[in-house]
Amino acid sequence: MKPQRGEAIYWRSLGELAGTPEFRAFLEAEFPQPADRPDGPTRRRMLQIMAASLALAGASGCRRWPEEKLVPYAHRPPGRVPGRTERYATAMELGGVAQPLLVTCYDGRPIKVEGNLEHPAGAPAGVFAQACVLDLYDPHRSRFPTRRVEGVAGRREARRHEDFEAFCRPHFAALRTAGGAGLAFLGRETSSPSVAAMRTRIQEAFPQARWHVWESLNRDHEREGARRAFGRVLRTQLRLDQADVIACFDADILGQHPDASRHARDWAAGRRSADQGRMNRLHVIESGYSLTGAAADHRLPASPRDIALLVAALAGRLGVPGAEAPPGMHPGEQAAWIERLAADLGAHPGRAVVAAGPSLPPEVHVLCHAINARLDAVGRTIVLIEDPCAESSSQTGSLRSLVEAMNSGQVGTLVILGGNPVYDAPADLDFPAALARVATSIHLGVYEDETALGCRWHLPQAHDLESWGDARTWDGTITSLQPMIRPLYDGRTVIELLALLLEDPADGPEIVRRTFATLLPAGDFESAWRRVLHDGFLDGSASRPVEAAASSEAVAAALRELRGVSVEPGANPAATTVVFRGDARVHDGRFAHNAWLQETPDPMSTLTWDNAAMISVADAARLGIAQGDVVAIRCGGATLEIPACVMPGQPAGVVALALGGGRTAAGPVGSGVGADAGRLRTCGGLWSAAAEISRTGRTHRLALTQDHHAIDRLGAAERERRVGTLVREGVLEEYAADPQFARKAAHPVPDVRLWEDPAAYDGHRWGMVIDLNVCIGCNACAIACQAENNVPVVGRDEVLRGREMHWLRVDRYFRGDPAAPSPPVAHQPLTCHHCENAPCEQVCPVAATVHDTEGLNTMVYNRCIGTRYCSNNCPFKVRRYNYLDYHSKPPRSGPRPWFGMPDSQQKAEIDDVRKLGFNPDVTVRMRGVMEKCTFCVQRIQAARIAARRQQRGLTDGEVIPACAQACPTQAIVFGDLNDPASRVRALQDHPRAYTLLDELNLRVRTRYLAKVRHPLPTDAPAGHGAIKEHA
Amino acid sequence: MAVRPASMSPSLPDNTGEIPGQRAPLVLGGLDYAGLTDRVCSIPEQPTAPPAWWATLALAAAGLAGFLCLIGYLVSTGIGVWGNNQPVAWAFDITNFVFWIGIGHAGTLISAILFLFRQNWRTSINRFAEAMTIFAVMCAGIFPAIHVGRPWLAYWMAPYPNQMGMWPNFRSPLLWDVFAVSTYALVSLMFWYVGMIPDLATLRDRARTRMRRILYGLFALGWTGSAAHWRRFECAYLLLAGLATPLVLSVHSVVSFDFATSQLPGWHTTIFPPYFVAGAVFGGFAMVLTLVIPARTFFGLQEVITLRHIENMNKVLLATGCIVGYAYGVELFIAWYSGSGFERFAFANRMGGPMAWAYWIMVGCNVVAPQLLWSKFCRTNLWVTLFVAMCVNVGMWFERFVIIVSSLSRDFVPSSWGGFSPTWVDFGMLAGSFGLFFTLFMLFVRYLPIVAMAEIKHVMPAGHAGDAGRAG
Repeated sequence: MKPQRGEAIYWRSLGELAGTPEFRAFLEAEFPQPADRPDGPTRRRMLQIMAASLALAGASGCRRWPEEKLVPYAHRPPGRVPGRTERYATAMELGGVAQPLLVTCYDGRPIKVEGNLEHPAGAPAGVFAQACVLDLYDPHRSRFPTRRVEGVAGRREARRHEDFEAFCRPHFAALRTAGGAGLAFLGRETSSPSVAAMRTRIQEAFPQARWHVWESLNRDHEREGARRAFGRVLRTQLRLDQADVIACFDADILGQHPDASRHARDWAAGRRSADQGRMNRLHVIESGYSLTGAAADHRLPASPRDIALLVAALAGRLGVPGAEAPPGMHPGEQAAWIERLAADLGAHPGRAVVAAGPSLPPEVHVLCHAINARLDAVGRTIVLIEDPCAESSSQTGSLRSLVEAMNSGQVGTLVILGGNPVYDAPADLDFPAALARVATSIHLGVYEDETALGCRWHLPQAHDLESWGDARTWDGTITSLQPMIRPLYDGRTVIELLALLLEDPADGPEIVRRTFATLLPAGDFESAWRRVLHDGFLDGSASRPVEAAASSEAVAAALRELRGVSVEPGANPAATTVVFRGDARVHDGRFAHNAWLQETPDPMSTLTWDNAAMISVADAARLGIAQGDVVAIRCGGATLEIPACVMPGQPAGVVALALGGGRTAAGPVGSGVGADAGRLRTCGGLWSAAAEISRTGRTHRLALTQDHHAIDRLGAAERERRVGTLVREGVLEEYAADPQFARKAAHPVPDVRLWEDPAAYDGHRWGMVIDLNVCIGCNACAIACQAENNVPVVGRDEVLRGREMHWLRVDRYFRGDPAAPSPPVAHQPLTCHHCENAPCEQVCPVAATVHDTEGLNTMVYNRCIGTRYCSNNCPFKVRRYNYLDYHSKPPRSGPRPWFGMPDSQQKAEIDDVRKLGFNPDVTVRMRGVMEKCTFCVQRIQAARIAARRQQRGLTDGEVIPACAQACPTQAIVFGDLNDPASRVRALQDHPRAYTLLDELNLRVRTRYLAKVRHPLPTDAPAGHGAIKEHA
Repeated sequence: MAVRPASMSPSLPDNTGEIPGQRAPLVLGGLDYAGLTDRVCSIPEQPTAPPAWWATLALAAAGLAGFLCLIGYLVSTGIGVWGNNQPVAWAFDITNFVFWIGIGHAGTLISAILFLFRQNWRTSINRFAEAMTIFAVMCAGIFPAIHVGRPWLAYWMAPYPNQMGMWPNFRSPLLWDVFAVSTYALVSLMFWYVGMIPDLATLRDRARTRMRRILYGLFALGWTGSAAHWRRFECAYLLLAGLATPLVLSVHSVVSFDFATSQLPGWHTTIFPPYFVAGAVFGGFAMVLTLVIPARTFFGLQEVITLRHIENMNKVLLATGCIVGYAYGVELFIAWYSGSGFERFAFANRMGGPMAWAYWIMVGCNVVAPQLLWSKFCRTNLWVTLFVAMCVNVGMWFERFVIIVSSLSRDFVPSSWGGFSPTWVDFGMLAGSFGLFFTLFMLFVRYLPIVAMAEIKHVMPAGHAGDAGRAG
């Protein structure tokens, strides 16, 4: 405001004229000009301060890491490299049949169970064998002997092993002097030569001792049928790879049969040949939907009585000698069905086989043996061998005689060698009451179960993976068991307990050596013995095939008996038949304490943590029963209340009940899960019985992992519309005419990309192919994945909420009208597809899921903050989220707060024993973290390291993810897509290959091979039309 | 001056009509500058709060306490205490987030856009609406922070230099959310606070106790009312309005990107940004009405927040409600027109699937109920207005619930279809977030000037009693 020289200006005040600083300050304060600048830092300084603040904000990672001391491995055992896994051959016995296993040990801890494929009867391990590793580290296994406190009901006290020994020495010495009078043994069925040898010694030392065997899922009928047909007990070995036509009568040869893995492999060979234009054909008649039924080309649901009559009719139709006049059966659809089956079987002599399940009466087995002989199957599609562990009498009869002896006071000392007869003996025997009459009862068991609680003494049994032993596989090969780890809880094996009772100083390994000493060449025993242990079996010990023919008298006698059956007992429409079957998850209840198995979805119903009465859609409509309604099933004098599960394809009038539920002493995991169908079983009705079914008015929520067809109509219609493009299938003729039929089920999508891939994937490019044509839905892959990848168990409540954690799930889709007699079903394993254009990766705000240079869609667990956005954007919904700390949470407890540091929860809460069982190569995820299939990246790395040490590249087949390894039919193939010679490359280019959800431009790394069915030409089952409707 | 509990329709002149050549008055009851100041300041200057205030605050604070306890339970236990599952990995958490974020929009719209468009009637309600915005954004901000599985690591979403050498993933819409919402919260807070400075100074000047003088003085930042202060104030306010205006559009657009950029049928929709913005304004105005109608009656502000204001807001409600209804229709049309089976099913499932009830609640509340407002009687009837506003509040919550849960529950592969059933914690946290909101709101109405006195005086013609309230 200073006036310029020479300018004529007016002034308003003296202050303005003088231009004093006071005046200027006043002026600026009162009338600020736009250019006025606030005091303070300049723009540059401001930016500098901001940048410095931002940089300082980064210095926030101030966490004190816990101090830990490293202890050096001062005396390393020779040959042992810490952290390097080792594999040993052993076996596990189930129902008297050994399953040869190869167990991976990490620093002396078995962590993963696979099948021993070098074994002559070797096949990938099934779900039970794979899950057994969880039992090994179960903190609720029996840890010490217990003894009943006399006079106080229900009280037991912990004792030491020495206490038992102090008791048993004088007790058995006295028995020995008495010649074993009053002594009885009750064991599970076993094919162990060592047990047989010890049994001989027992019988020498205690000549009057009784020896009984009981399996609740026994093969009495099968053996009795063979005895009647051949005059001796022969075991039928199926050679499904040699068969063009297979007919199964209530025989779940791909699911619950002891040799199922091998059957599946052989059957799959006959399905794979579809690519060469020929395929086997599977006919199944069954009383409940089984895995074999799911794999069938033709399936007929029928009651057990009808099945027996149908087999008789088939025998007559095929001209089986002695079966010329079969008993009558219902005319109509069933007759036409048998007509077609007979024609198909008859047209393939020497290439056809029939099989009957253990639940069918002996007469049906006789007829099947005769039919097989008639079909020229013996020596071609079946091989007969001597049953390695045949008892002279039936197990049911044996148990009944034992109970009678116990009730009449003839048994003073009962030794129960494993097994749980209090739970699984037929209800009419009232085994618990009989057991209470036995003065001295001794139970050896892995768990302190119902039987243990009823016995005076309970001794912990060693787990199979802790045991020395031997057993025979289905083909009779002698297979050795060796311990992977010292018994965690000082358990004993059966042979060790028997040695104790005999005062035999030999320990477990010594007894087994003793057995093998009689089997191996004497000269070079040590090296032969080491070879047996290394290989896991005694080479050439399989049973020799025998020639035998079913006698026509036996056939005639069987038909006479069936004629008695065929007389209608009065047509009562309300009469229902219940059939009992082993559970796909807990078998006969012995695996009820195994949380992995409890949470494995039933392959047909997808039910977890429960068992249910499978009732047909027709019966449900007739009786007004909805999914989850609790029904009362009255059978004889017993009543069972159990929730109903409406099952498409279940024969009308037949209710299928799975055993193994309703355990009362199966630890915190298994007790009270489901209802005990065994309470309805009697000696005469071990497999099926007439029953009445009624509603109770109560409901029970079934923890299904997949919605059942009790879905709203809109959703059901949409599912039906989509399933044809998700699971693509055709019939063999269609495939032969148009090998690329599967690709035409959806519109072709152009490969459009806006930018080049940031990674060229020019090294390895991992990919997977799943062949739906041979997938049988057995869940072996799912449980293998669970074991390999430390997948947690969530419990029933969480499954009900839809939070199961399986990285790999096996989807099950029925097709068509659920009320149809047998709607076709398809299984589809689904896991992360490792999309190259992965929707999950783009939406994670913290980049916790990213692509690696080989195209794996990886999960960085310690970066994941758990927004779950990736899951929302995953079109396959294969991502799994730790809503709670599932490893810390006991499976059946609800949410529990943890007030410590969040990442210290698992360390504090997971039982130390359970920690031993985790795969150390895979992170144990905490709560709040997303997880999913990694294509077993730890196995890729292990193979890569091994190859690099040898300075070579990876070869095809060297990297096998857990799921592919466990698949009995090798439906899952994994490998390097960049390797033009790899199997996976060839299969991805296979004409049947297709991708899911192509229209989303995901560029997935997993492809499916379409399913091919092979029905008889005149009669294509419903469902194939879906291929055409979208073309 | 004590609070005057007044009836819902005091006998004031009707300013809802238009008289040609004359501007309708925005302040009634013959209030002049001093009268207005007295009326507004009397609320925070009451020596003791009325019992009704205490009762409401107690209720809200109890809700807030419950909310904090539930957050503690959630953080110490895991997301599993909610009903979320696979496939419905987001449910009440993100529904509440989007709901609260949407509520905030009316405040910014009123303060920024209406300011720039010289809608003078905004002055009576903008303080209210802005406060509501701040509190709603606080409620909204809590949900994304606690919905992550490991909230103690949620700061990893911020781009800061760190020992991991990791940036967040800039491709993720969730990250855009972080920026959008935090910018929005900051700008809204500044806008609210800057606008309040002259009024805080008024309260300071009228304060009778030392404590009030210190506290109001502290926050009045030495405001003297000098021309320089006013000039800078106006300048800053205009700048902030300019800054906030794009935010009105951007924040909810970005929030909608969470859905629109994913490929889930029912989410993958290009209409989402405008549709969400319209919905947010719609829901926000409904919440302003829900708050303002009881408050003006309770605090006797009918002369300041007149029926004309209510009616104007109802008009906005009707307009945005129609946009939202149109968006619902276009969604259906596009789903059909796209020819994509997945899209068609997603919408068929919304309307006829297991959660159709939620869809029809949404349509009923958001599309049908606002149609009442075509009638001037309904627009000027406080009970009807309150009813419609409550409907819209419910409907907008359900809109987000329907979009999130029904789309997630049934996506591509039918085997993974699922459902959602909320737990008591879900309901508790929804209620608890209202507890937080109303606690803050009750504190606001008790201790701060709830009407922008200084701004209203701009729109009063002059200090002459005769012309009072004729807006320029």
